[in-house]
Amino acid sequence: MTTDAARTRDLAPVALVDLLDRLLGTGVVVAGDVVVSLAGVDLVEIRLQLLVTSIRAEMAERRTAAAG
Amino acid sequence: MTDDERSSARYLYAVCRRLDPAVLQGVPALGDAPLDVVVQHDLMAVVSTVSLAVFGEEALRRNLEDIAWLEETARVHDEVVRAVSRCAPTAPMRLATICFDDAVVRARLREWYVDLAHVLDRIEGCSEWSVKVLTAPTDQAIDDGAAPAVTNGADYLRRKKLLAERRSAHDSSVAEAAGRIHDALVLLARASRILPAQDPRLSGHRGTMVLNAAYLVPDQERAAFAALVEQLGTHDDRVVVDSRGPWPPYSFAMLEAR
Amino acid sequence: MSDRTTAAPGAGRHRAVVAQRLETDAEAVERDLLRLVLTVVELIRQLMEKQALRRVDEGDLTDAEVEGLGTGLMHLEQAMEDLKDRYGLCAEDLNIDLGPLGSLLPGRTDEL
Repeated sequence: MTTDAARTRDLAPVALVDLLDRLLGTGVVVAGDVVVSLAGVDLVEIRLQLLVTSIRAEMAERRTAAAG
Repeated sequence: MTDDERSSARYLYAVCRRLDPAVLQGVPALGDAPLDVVVQHDLMAVVSTVSLAVFGEEALRRNLEDIAWLEETARVHDEVVRAVSRCAPTAPMRLATICFDDAVVRARLREWYVDLAHVLDRIEGCSEWSVKVLTAPTDQAIDDGAAPAVTNGADYLRRKKLLAERRSAHDSSVAEAAGRIHDALVLLARASRILPAQDPRLSGHRGTMVLNAAYLVPDQERAAFAALVEQLGTHDDRVVVDSRGPWPPYSFAMLEAR
Repeated sequence: MSDRTTAAPGAGRHRAVVAQRLETDAEAVERDLLRLVLTVVELIRQLMEKQALRRVDEGDLTDAEVEGLGTGLMHLEQAMEDLKDRYGLCAEDLNIDLGPLGSLLPGRTDEL
């Protein structure tokens, strides 16, 4: 907290995330992106999307049958 | 002046009733502009002039992704709202509610009049309190204790399954405890709202957030509410109860978009 | 005269999306990239474990398959612990949000 108003308040500083949740229609979210920076220079942006499929017995059989 | 030639607009912070404009003296607004009041019937909108280079649609979209800008803007906005809501029934606006000029502000007040009047009636004499319930840091203990010795793969899987079941049971019972806390607090509030759980990387909280709620508490119930929160927090050592306030009634002043 | 308001109360149009930044310097870059990689490995390990438990519950695996799965996962868990120890990382360090699945370690270290 850096504002003068905050320093003079006798309550605990208002948490930014609480404030933004109320002031923004849908709050603030952390994006699923990671920016990798080195020595202060942004270099690479990583966006990973994982598709997770559960493999069930019948699918495994189908796979074996198709391969055989 | 056409729309394209406009460079500034009016930023709307809050709508009040019976506001004494002297309250606005010395309260900083965005861009160090002065705060003004636009009156429509018994409603008073607190506004200031802002630059469209910062708050126009394109600029705003960019600025909303800049956490430093968001923080600075949100805190100035909140200070204006707090200054006003200490002295008059206040319906806070969301961030970046922009009207091109005062005539538009008045038109909006006329358009929203019934809803705003309803909000102001509802929140009068109340403050918002935020209550969060989190799992206490010591819950890792359920992973220890008498675990069967693992000597082979099948044992390993059995142990993992046992741990998963224990965690699941623990989670259910903590969720139930949070539900009971909410049910108790609701009795002292004029209204309540469940908010989404917060990302711990943003909130800095340890543990899992199992309840994030806002309560509209009449001023005469404030002491009883605080005492109840304290009691509920100490009653169950599996949870931590984090209560903050008073807030201006942000969570209870939303108007349905038409 | 145009009548546009950029946002109406309750319209909920505004959201702020903040990307995470992995700040590193020459000293820390190796460790931070490792952290990223191990986060992905840990995600996959947890998913495999969860899925293995489901398959065992469904009862369509032979005893040999169950034993093989359990032993393999046990070794994988140990290998992850060794890697974490070697690089001085704890479970909370491996918690980078990588996309729609959200945070990899939502509330607890061993559960997805």
